[in-house]
Amino acid sequence: MSRLNKSLTWFAAIVLLVSACAEPEQEIFNGYTAEELATSDNAALTDVLKASAYQRIIGTWGGHNSLWSIHEVASDEAVIAQKGGDWFDGGLWLRMHRHEYNPQEGAINNGWAYCYTAIGDINLLLQQYPDVAALGAELRVLRALVYLWLIDAWGNVPIVLETDDDPTPPTVSRAEVFNFIESSINDNIGLLTRDNTKTTLNYWSAKMILAKLYLNAEVYTGTARLADANAALNDVINNGPFSLENNYFANFSTNNGGSSENILTLPYDQDNAGGFNLGQMTGHYLTQFTFDLQEQPWNGYASLEEFYNAYEDGDARKNSFLVGPQFSSTGERLEDSSAEDADPDGPPLTFTPEINELEPNSLRQAGARIGKFEFQSGAAQSLSNDFPIFRYGDALLMKAEVEWRLGNPGAALNFVNQVRARAGVDPLSALDADILLAERGREMFAEGWRRSDLIRFGKYGDTWWEKGPSDDFRALFPIPQQQIDANPDLTQNPGY
Amino acid sequence: MSVGFQGTLLAQTRTVTGTVTGGDDGLGIPRVNVTVKGTTRGVATDFDGNYSIEVSSSETLVYSFIGYVSQEIAVGNQSTINVVLQPDYAELDEVVVVGYGSQEKKEITSAVASIKPEDFNKGNVSDPTQLLAGKVAGLSITRPGGDPNGGFNIRLRGVSTFGANASPLIVLDGVPGADLANVDPNDIASIDVLKDASAAAIYGARASSGVILITTTKGGSEQGVTNVSVGSFVAVDNLVLNKLKPLSAQEFVARGGTDFGSETDWIEQITRTAVSQATNASVSGSFGGTSYRASVNWRENQGIVRGIGNERLNTRLNLSHSAINDRLRLNINAAVTNRDFTARNSQLFRYAVVYNPTAPVYSSDRLAEVGPFFQRDLFDFYNPEALRQQQLFGGSRKTILTSYRAEFDILDNLTAAVQYNQDRFSELNGSFWSRKDLQLGLGNRGIAERITNTGNVQIVTGTLNYSTEIADGLNMTVLLGGEQQKRSYEGFGARTRQFLFDSNTWNNLGAGAVRLGNNTNVYSYKNEDILNSAFARLNFNYQGTYFLSASVRQESFSGFGENEKTGYFPSVSAGAELTEIADLGPVNQLKLRVSYGITGALPPSADLALGVFENGPRIDLDGDPTTSDDVYISPQQNRNPNKLLKWETRKEFNVGVDFALFDSKITGAVEYYQKNVEDLLFPVTVPVGAPNPFDPGNFNTAGSTWVNLADLSSGGFEFVASYNGIALGPVSWTPSINFTIYDKTTIESLSVEGGIGFDFIRPQGSAPGSPGQNDNPTIENRVGATLGNFWGPRLGGIENGVAFYVGPDGTTRIDPNDNSQYSILGNALPDADFGWNNSFVYGDWDMSFFLRGSFGHQLYNSFRGFYENQDAGSNTWNSVTTDITPEITSAPIFSDQFIEDASFIRLDNMQVGYNVPTNADWIENLRFYVAAQNLFTITNYTGIDPEVRWTDQNQGGIGASLSPGLERRDTYFQTRTFTLGFTVNIK
Repeated sequence: MSRLNKSLTWFAAIVLLVSACAEPEQEIFNGYTAEELATSDNAALTDVLKASAYQRIIGTWGGHNSLWSIHEVASDEAVIAQKGGDWFDGGLWLRMHRHEYNPQEGAINNGWAYCYTAIGDINLLLQQYPDVAALGAELRVLRALVYLWLIDAWGNVPIVLETDDDPTPPTVSRAEVFNFIESSINDNIGLLTRDNTKTTLNYWSAKMILAKLYLNAEVYTGTARLADANAALNDVINNGPFSLENNYFANFSTNNGGSSENILTLPYDQDNAGGFNLGQMTGHYLTQFTFDLQEQPWNGYASLEEFYNAYEDGDARKNSFLVGPQFSSTGERLEDSSAEDADPDGPPLTFTPEINELEPNSLRQAGARIGKFEFQSGAAQSLSNDFPIFRYGDALLMKAEVEWRLGNPGAALNFVNQVRARAGVDPLSALDADILLAERGREMFAEGWRRSDLIRFGKYGDTWWEKGPSDDFRALFPIPQQQIDANPDLTQNPGY
Repeated sequence: MSVGFQGTLLAQTRTVTGTVTGGDDGLGIPRVNVTVKGTTRGVATDFDGNYSIEVSSSETLVYSFIGYVSQEIAVGNQSTINVVLQPDYAELDEVVVVGYGSQEKKEITSAVASIKPEDFNKGNVSDPTQLLAGKVAGLSITRPGGDPNGGFNIRLRGVSTFGANASPLIVLDGVPGADLANVDPNDIASIDVLKDASAAAIYGARASSGVILITTTKGGSEQGVTNVSVGSFVAVDNLVLNKLKPLSAQEFVARGGTDFGSETDWIEQITRTAVSQATNASVSGSFGGTSYRASVNWRENQGIVRGIGNERLNTRLNLSHSAINDRLRLNINAAVTNRDFTARNSQLFRYAVVYNPTAPVYSSDRLAEVGPFFQRDLFDFYNPEALRQQQLFGGSRKTILTSYRAEFDILDNLTAAVQYNQDRFSELNGSFWSRKDLQLGLGNRGIAERITNTGNVQIVTGTLNYSTEIADGLNMTVLLGGEQQKRSYEGFGARTRQFLFDSNTWNNLGAGAVRLGNNTNVYSYKNEDILNSAFARLNFNYQGTYFLSASVRQESFSGFGENEKTGYFPSVSAGAELTEIADLGPVNQLKLRVSYGITGALPPSADLALGVFENGPRIDLDGDPTTSDDVYISPQQNRNPNKLLKWETRKEFNVGVDFALFDSKITGAVEYYQKNVEDLLFPVTVPVGAPNPFDPGNFNTAGSTWVNLADLSSGGFEFVASYNGIALGPVSWTPSINFTIYDKTTIESLSVEGGIGFDFIRPQGSAPGSPGQNDNPTIENRVGATLGNFWGPRLGGIENGVAFYVGPDGTTRIDPNDNSQYSILGNALPDADFGWNNSFVYGDWDMSFFLRGSFGHQLYNSFRGFYENQDAGSNTWNSVTTDITPEITSAPIFSDQFIEDASFIRLDNMQVGYNVPTNADWIENLRFYVAAQNLFTITNYTGIDPEVRWTDQNQGGIGASLSPGLERRDTYFQTRTFTLGFTVNIK
């Protein structure tokens, strides 16, 4: 009995120990492994993954705290004033406006992180689908588009390729980034479709990337590339399937998918592709009832009075703002029962282009709001308007600028006046830098290019409302400190 | 029933009388149980210790009283039996539950605290951990505010990990990780806290934050005797506002507030006097080789916010059986709990504080739109009563814990045991926003949601215990064991919107017409992980004088990297009882002990090492919303895998002394510990987009990767002592005190060896929030500094009502936007905790009160941080003013203006009880009591609750652990509780 007991005991002990020491495997029940993706027989998967890479930049662009936010607030066309305790946010938006931003700014880090998240995703897909040449070409051009944003905002940034394995990729010069974008386009453009796909990259949008790159070449590398810009724009204007919409606002409506003018858009959709929250960002709390929005807006973004006044009366584009008395969707005057005593308009909600002060107590009703994009009745926080990244109207003004810079003012006037005619304003008869920049401002308001334009025209350091002169180095954003902490091989931009 | 055979007994019985006195002071002891052995008959001594009982000469009397050694005396011919009961210096012989077994307390060589029911906190205690709050040195149990649905934060010896198990491992009757919902406070027989790493190391990878062992009451041991116990209480809760007060309507208008012409106390509007009740009953007994205990506990807890509360029914059965001459022992434990709860918007108190006090509650001006409530469309401005009525949250949770254990003595000194546990829960919750709810429901035309979650944890444990005397006076015991734990969680949820009616709340999701997009959802999930363990422990005892213990546990977890799954967690401890070596006079015990151990911590989720593609955005391939045959959810890598992820470890060194003096009247212990936590699992910022060094060929598609990053060190000094039964005339007073002095957690490193590293981490989520303070972290955790430092500008002074700020030197004016000039404003962790209990016995009366406190920690007072300054917002939102409110008209900026010292002393609970003397022999004990909780708090803190905030309630995950000390605006207000109850024990 005892012998049997003992052997039983040893047997049990051994069984127990063997099973207790086994290394268990981790099973996955929701989610997929890379192997599962690579061996999938679902024909739609490739397209879905490609679209998913686009979604990364869609989610990047149009919300609060986005790349768009820092471009806009650092320019002279948008501002977020501090309304007492509201919208101070540690002074971030005041610093953005006054060009006092530092490497710690959360929003600047967000912009950076968004860009590189897209790059990481693209490289991951290129790794997994190296054989699909057409997909590879489109993804590489998409990556180049992201680098266009990076070269413009930060200039000197690391280049990460799908074949790289350095976990701390070092900063390279802005000129190298320039060359990388250029060669990415040139190496792949031949594989892109010339169909007017609009929401995905094609031959024409690739040309627009080149055009933007060359137009800003002097800023980016010190060497102008106007002839190359001209060639790219000629191709788009002369050979592309684009034309000006009669109605300027057709390009920004909720159902703007059919716009003949938009070359590349980010296809926002309240259900499928969220992240474009302009209605929330700019609307007053009561604006909820003007458009029957699903949620109360945040009363943040407005335009500057000076900028608003740069539109002449009769310019159709002046309707890009919500100004004056505000009404509910049923036509009743909206009342802000808690309007400040200092507000000359009193409780009835009235957006005035004049903003009493940037901080600390900007009146809640002050400031012309960004109304260029349609706010559909009943809209969710995320709007469904497709956001134009490249637009034929922009191409015409870029062309005008190139011609003017090349010393052909006559040709330049022709293109500027096409755009002006559509806006219902008289043609110009002469051009200079200020006039060109102002026209670009009126046409391209709130589309995210203003900061870049100001820099190219040498006006970014100028004084404007509640902003003193700023140093040249401010034309590049600081490399976010959080990124430098994570990657010691990054080099901070000069001046920071 | 006893009446039936009393007649036959009387024939042979006679009266025995006597006095029972204490061996310590010679005084009579009241309420000593004098029972006839083997029967249910018994009496209690009177106030002076006298008794009188009917017995026959063949019977034996048993004299028993808590705190004294029981005596048995055969009656024989005696008619007067005077008994001297010797005090039970029990502590010394007490058996303490340790991991996978128990040990005599005198043999224990690591830091273990044992708490018995008489030491538990009193009053309306519905959560088992609440019994312990303040009772164990080094164990901090906090629930800021008084939400009856809220959980407790438990920290043993400060911060040991940032991961999922920052709270100690709960081991309930040998079930590691058991859900505390499974046990009602009434069913607990003892709680043992394994404080140092050497004691906890036998639980290996789950023990980094310490271990709390809960043992439930088992069946009776007296043959043929059935004990019935019934108890019930009613408790009344009232709001405690402390020093934070919103302005009255007149004050608000005087401060520039918009006058809506009415007068409303919003806090009063949403609160009530809450009435809670509980009833419990248990039956226990034993027959043959079987003993049993069954209990049922019912509790209904009301919150002070109208509509918040819960109801709980807990049923527990314990069945033990022994066979083959007690060589085979079987035990079955089953506990079933159902808990229903109702909740309200968590920001209700915030809105009640800041909503305009001149606004009326009701108004019919927007009936069709927002219902019968007064509402205005201002930013962050919602009628609290409307929120309370138009948003509903609630649900139910069922837990079932079953465990089966068999022990077999193979030899006299060799025992094998197998235990299988299954711990399941399932919950079904609902959320509802009326179509007239201005905050969310209105724009969405009503939203409803249901979520269900289930979990199943299965554990199989096998152990072998062997003990032998290997040499003269040298005893050895050996424990060998293996264990497998498999955890599985799954669930699903759905949310729809746009309803015609409100009346179905969340019970009819099908009536919601919109099922896609904003404020809609459909999902399901499942995840599972496995932990395999083998462990061994050796104990040596040499002549009851020298002790040595060593253990090791091997853990293999499915969720780590392929080559990093297995970790080893050893410990060693030794002690010497000096009173066995030399005669130390009045010192009865003086045990020196020293220990060292290593424990680990599991990662917060099991798939961090793996590259998993999760659900990304919904892709409409042709962009045409009218066609749906081309719509897919894209798989997206949202988390960077780390295939090198491994165990984090806590290494802890502990020295301690256990002492007993003057016939063990005074007992206590002193501990000093030093611990280092290494390789903490941490989501670290990585260069997003760059190649992932932890998974070659992959790229970082998320901004952070979980790595083994930080090293922390901390230490502490703990002291506990109690004096048993100081005689104050007829009153016996037992004070016991514990205190802890913390050497606060210091961040030693925030670097991966040879890789990524940081000088500091300022959690983005520690920003105060909206309005206007979204982007400024308030906490800096810097290498070389203490965890949880407040960081920001200093308030330099006020000029014409405008605040100005200064830098670290306290004089140089700075731009409050310039964060390079910020300084450290305080620290959120406490320097010291203490608890002081006092029990008094006077005849049939007893009384106890318990004071506890924490010192040296600061809190950020959010209400002041947003609503104290008389700024532009003061016309919209009500302000809070305190006696320290400065006259500032500029907008509030986070600074030391709002950082307050939150040291406090609280009269945590107090109880007066009366044991009704009764001669009915079927009543063993009848007791009435009145208790009060949170009677008063002494503090300079002007916020809601000065309690230490170990984590931030507004953040999840690691951000919460890195942002202590923030009292958020959605903190539930405190309550004061009075309880009236009784218990009766019937034989």
